[in-house]
Amino acid sequence: MSFLKPKTHIEKGDVVILYLSVSSMHAIEAVPEIVNKKGETIPHIFQTNYGSLKVENIIGVEYGSKVELSKGWAHVLQPTPELWTQTLPHRTQIIYTPDISMIIHQLEVRPGSVVVESGTGSGSLSHYFLRALKPTGHLHTFDFHEARADQARDEFRRHGIADFVTVYHRDVCNLGFGAELDGKADAVFLDLPAPDLAVPHAFKALKLSGGRFCSFSPCIEQSQRCIQELTKLGFNEIVSLEVLQQENVVKTRTLPVIDLEFLKLPKTDETTTATNALESKTPKEVKKYLTSSNPQTLPGHTGFLTFATLPPNIPKA
Amino acid sequence: MATEEDIPRIQLGDYIVIQRQKYTKLQKFSSLDTTANLGKETLELKSLLDQPYGSTFKMCVKETKPGKRGAQRQHTLELCSETELRSTREVLGISSSGADNRDIQDDGEAQTLKPEDIAQLREECNDSSKIIEKLVENSKTFHNRTEYSQEKYLLKKEKKYFEFVQIRQPTIRLMLDIFYRQDSEKVMGIRVDTLSQIISYSGVCGFGSYLLYESGTNGLLPAAMLNSIGAGTEGTLVHMHPGNVPQKQALSALKLPLEQQQRCVSVNLYSVLREFYQGGEAKATDVPVVEPSANKPQETQPETPTEEQPEAIEPITKKPKLDESKSDREGAKGPPRWHLENKRATALMHAEFDSLVVAAKEHPSNILQALLPLVKPSRPVVVFSTCKELLQETFMELKTTGKVTGLHLTSNWLRTYQILPNRTHPEVNMSGNSGYLLTGYTLR
Repeated sequence: MSFLKPKTHIEKGDVVILYLSVSSMHAIEAVPEIVNKKGETIPHIFQTNYGSLKVENIIGVEYGSKVELSKGWAHVLQPTPELWTQTLPHRTQIIYTPDISMIIHQLEVRPGSVVVESGTGSGSLSHYFLRALKPTGHLHTFDFHEARADQARDEFRRHGIADFVTVYHRDVCNLGFGAELDGKADAVFLDLPAPDLAVPHAFKALKLSGGRFCSFSPCIEQSQRCIQELTKLGFNEIVSLEVLQQENVVKTRTLPVIDLEFLKLPKTDETTTATNALESKTPKEVKKYLTSSNPQTLPGHTGFLTFATLPPNIPKA
Repeated sequence: MATEEDIPRIQLGDYIVIQRQKYTKLQKFSSLDTTANLGKETLELKSLLDQPYGSTFKMCVKETKPGKRGAQRQHTLELCSETELRSTREVLGISSSGADNRDIQDDGEAQTLKPEDIAQLREECNDSSKIIEKLVENSKTFHNRTEYSQEKYLLKKEKKYFEFVQIRQPTIRLMLDIFYRQDSEKVMGIRVDTLSQIISYSGVCGFGSYLLYESGTNGLLPAAMLNSIGAGTEGTLVHMHPGNVPQKQALSALKLPLEQQQRCVSVNLYSVLREFYQGGEAKATDVPVVEPSANKPQETQPETPTEEQPEAIEPITKKPKLDESKSDREGAKGPPRWHLENKRATALMHAEFDSLVVAAKEHPSNILQALLPLVKPSRPVVVFSTCKELLQETFMELKTTGKVTGLHLTSNWLRTYQILPNRTHPEVNMSGNSGYLLTGYTLR
């Protein structure tokens, strides 16, 4: 229930982020007991690299606290869509925060917005849409994979945000978003292998007063076909772009200062030369620098984002 | 089903976005006599009143005055239907084109019309397609150009003679585009991808209490946060700023409902912190004095960074006053407005915040030191700076205190694409500086 609004203490049933380090985080459900593969009810013990956690012990604890593991410690954080995206169980490829932020901004989603999304996938983007549009808006999300749709529906319920979302199991390219959504949406988002097939349905779903459209495609050919379809239907302000986020790794570096000046002076006698040579090999002086650099490998491509506006009063018949 | 009734109409006092092809401009429609300048064109806005937002208007030449740089044309605006807007190529019915540019010489004599002829043409006809038609007729080389090159020529001419403007309602997206294009300094260099991520990482939404310190984005950052908090929700925003008067242009332009506007409490950073730590010892002056002890150089205080500023804060300050008129009548000597805002802000500060956003021209270090204790544990912190070095230092400081975890220092790369059949490539120019974000989560 921990996705609805900011809260201070862990309650039974919350999803909690167990934060061990920048590269190690887990989303766990705060329930004292779980059912194992054999169908037996057993205490919920979660294993980490720093030992085990008896999950019962974190219920009632304040978010942001340090909790003991059998061989170390970790912090418990309230999940945000950003943390969830990094820890969620992948059922499909997912879209990450930099692209998602741009999608929310460009689609102008705010409380009260009605958004149509296809496909639901692992629900990474859906959580951001829901944060942005609740408590007065609604998300209609579609997936052609029945089990995925069911899993997503169940997840939204357990996360306490089911009131603001309807999950549909439907192939929107062939069947559209349904007549009940005609003229209802402020924004439509497509992440489909053939977005051009769904563009006419998006056109129908958008309000007569106009709206915003976005399609995410890893390949440029998909964007091309999508844009042709958008142009045909009277969409304007068509923009395609790519966003990549770069991490700057901050490190303090300690560098030796090499003295080369003494080489300009003639050798005085053998003993001092010996000490000089010794000194130059083990310089007394070191300097500390605060530096940052990009990691060796970075994400080089996620997808092309195509945005468009449906102007007001375009006849839909 | 949405009807035309759902589309808001243009009212006096509104900020409007005037769009002519790709050019957009934010303009206040203060009175019926208001005019807007788009380059050499002056537009009389009178006829916009009560028309629905999103409408397209035709610019009709009323008179031409000699100006400093060529003739300045005054236009009236006439509402027109979408069908009047057709592609120039379609209107002109151009069919023949060349295969390549081997027969085209740049001798400056391709166009037989003289500049004077064109100027006269412009005054005579209102229709850009007629002007372009004449230009094409009198061009010796047009029909030898390739189809692509013809298109480019037409687009260029269309841009120059395009006689339609669209009036749109300001949104965060449109305003950021305008501000950033005009002068990125207006929004402290916060680029679109960066703003979108500030909103994400801060977690700002319809629930919770949020704290923002910004030193001058023409109101765009508080407007973006308040926009995400939404109308008819329970979220609140305390907006701290270093000047005597907050910059509020973007906030006013959004035309948010009064209840939503009032959930943004704008206070001076120094004066509210003094109030918070020392209680009601504020001086009985009518102006929140910036504390001299705060060694804050005067020139960095963005009190009137744009000409529009004094006018910009008007609507916001006026409306609450009307609302308070009752209490004014009862006791005319009530405490000044800024003092009431300080009181409201300190109450929210004591209750602690669900997120902290800092976008400072100053070094963020001391600001964070002062504001971090006001944030609950397990809450996001987002710090923006155009300068990486400042955030590197802040990163280390926060890491050392152990009060913030999950620290990341990030920047962005953003590229736009031209996507056309057989002519797809990245745009020739791209922005090189997104600014930097330092993000993390508070600990208990």
